Amino acid sequence: MVGGYELDVSARERVPAWLAYGTPLFTVAAALVVSGVALLALGVNPVAAYGTMFVDTLTTPFGITEVLLRAVPLVLTGLAVYLPLRAGLWNVGAEGQLYLGAIAGTWIGLNVDGPGFLVVPVMLVGAGVAGGLWGLIPGLLRARRGVNEIIVTLMLTFVGVELAGYLVRGPMKGGQGNFPVSETLPGAAQLPAIGNLLPDYSRIHVGVLVAILATVAIRYLVRRTETGYEVTVTGSNADAAEGAGIDVEWVYVFVLVAGGVLAGMAGIIEIAGIQGRLRPEFSPGYGFTAIPIALLGRRGALRVFLAGLFFAILVVGGSSMELAFDVPAAIVEVIQALVILFLITAEFFKRYRIGIEREDRDEPAGPTAAGEA
Amino acid sequence: MVGFLAGLLDATVRAGTPLLLAAMGEIISERGGVLNLGVEGMMLVGALCGFATTVVTGSPWLGFAVGTLAGAAFATIHAVLCISLKADQVISGVMLTLLGTGLTTYFGQAWISEDIDGFDTVTFPIVGEFLVDLPVVGTALFRNTPTDYLAIMFVPVVGYFLFRTNLGLEVTAVGDDPEAADTMGVPVFTVRYLCVILGGAFAGAAGAHLSLAFSKLWTTGMVAGRGWIAIALVIFAQWRPWRALVGAYLFGGIEALILRSQGLDLALGADAPLAGLINPTVELLTNPQVMAMYPYLATVVVLVATTRNSLKQRVGAPSALLDNYSRELE
Repeated sequence: MVGGYELDVSARERVPAWLAYGTPLFTVAAALVVSGVALLALGVNPVAAYGTMFVDTLTTPFGITEVLLRAVPLVLTGLAVYLPLRAGLWNVGAEGQLYLGAIAGTWIGLNVDGPGFLVVPVMLVGAGVAGGLWGLIPGLLRARRGVNEIIVTLMLTFVGVELAGYLVRGPMKGGQGNFPVSETLPGAAQLPAIGNLLPDYSRIHVGVLVAILATVAIRYLVRRTETGYEVTVTGSNADAAEGAGIDVEWVYVFVLVAGGVLAGMAGIIEIAGIQGRLRPEFSPGYGFTAIPIALLGRRGALRVFLAGLFFAILVVGGSSMELAFDVPAAIVEVIQALVILFLITAEFFKRYRIGIEREDRDEPAGPTAAGEA
Repeated sequence: MVGFLAGLLDATVRAGTPLLLAAMGEIISERGGVLNLGVEGMMLVGALCGFATTVVTGSPWLGFAVGTLAGAAFATIHAVLCISLKADQVISGVMLTLLGTGLTTYFGQAWISEDIDGFDTVTFPIVGEFLVDLPVVGTALFRNTPTDYLAIMFVPVVGYFLFRTNLGLEVTAVGDDPEAADTMGVPVFTVRYLCVILGGAFAGAAGAHLSLAFSKLWTTGMVAGRGWIAIALVIFAQWRPWRALVGAYLFGGIEALILRSQGLDLALGADAPLAGLINPTVELLTNPQVMAMYPYLATVVVLVATTRNSLKQRVGAPSALLDNYSRELE
């Protein structure tokens, strides 16, 4: 070895407490420091910028409302990636399932008359069914034919995005001139607000409740039901699960369909709660941001919820920062990516101990030789 | 019609080059056993770095080189994370796309209004002088930017590298069965590093081609999903460079057709037999958004058709794709 030193990598038997609890703090801090360099590069004081980003966002009714509204699609798509991940599958296609849900839900909202308390649930169910069907395709292909679900979910994402683009230019096009948008949903088909009790928070809609309910339901499913147990066992070792009599094929189909349902509901909630009508590329990549969110929350649905909230804070804070300091809000994507990149780096150091060992030629390390004797 | 076809073919070559370059990189990376979902991000980084270098120095070749190196540097992150730190390849790749998108949007703002001369189209030396005047195919084949030709020239080079050189066979060995390769004395980690970094270099070159030869300007998110199409193309081409060449022009042709579909009138006369059935079908199938789905749908079809374990070996899918090799755990 050059220089007489050698890196020694060995698996840890247990993770020291400081590493286990310090990791989340370390990763976020490191991401903010590195992104701070990018802020400095454009002549912005990072401390002031982060102040705007976090403090202003979390201390004003406007900021809190925005964070909650942003968190809804992030949490739901995050769960849509989380559940398959529990079973060892990657649902890279939550974005496509979200589009399918938005399409189906919007169609129902535009074509079904009735009071809101009937129409809105039907829209949610319809959106869930459409998203679920979009998840059924990779689910069945994976279960029956062993086709890689990563590629199929990814490909179907772009098909779903193009499908929405086609529909709002053709069959679902509204009457607003030449713009590729659907008709605006009638009042009954828009999500009712639940923030009426607090005037400052009046924009908060019922979708927030859906996200909370979904989190609780998925948490219950994973922790307390036999299905959840089967999902977890399949995820930790599919062969062993098969041997233990678990129907792995069914688990694969179930998690991808359930993921699709959740993402589909996220889609219609975004349309019926915020945007009011379907337009092409209406999602700023919620289904892709869901992937790091699911990774952050992979140990439980509650953590997915918190991770979604955290990413929502970053997104909303990024917009305020853009307004206040005239820097591109894209810095938020950099921060998000860095958090995850540092996290997966830290994961390695959790699993392995790195030591630097000195290699001394004159005195060969005694213990090794002695140990073998 | 001749003019339309000539224009379409010309645009096909133009649209195919970035897909071809990026796909060749992804073929090398995946054959070595590492899926790289960061292609889109690496192309963006290559595009911006190449563009900025050309604005500053005025030299498109220098820009092309810097864009290529930037792609390679970006891919090195993926290599370290997936090969040395055994991180999940999916999450690392997706995050690098996010990082590349974020960084280039953030730093790219300053370069949006700049313009460059970039690569001009040139007539292919010697043979091109005579053949460029051929009807329909002349300009498509013989008058292109230097990087269009470069991409095509790399197809046999990559093919030779993968199938005829020792190192290339080691790449396949490492991607199929890293454990066996390790036992045979193949430096698994080194070979995989090389594959991922080479893959990033190709992605960077593809991005630089986009900003220096294709559009000759920088706009936010200008790669516009081509990185994802390149990933689809690799499966469509079954990890083979020559098929990637065909696939790149097929997918590129679709892109070219989408831009021109409004000038396209394939409708039969109302009195033709079955016109009532055929016309709406043709109209649907040639709709720009519907055509944009074809590469993805075709990829799923190919993937489903070839996913049978007995077939896998023959079609060239690396069987240890996504498996991070680690010595001490086995």
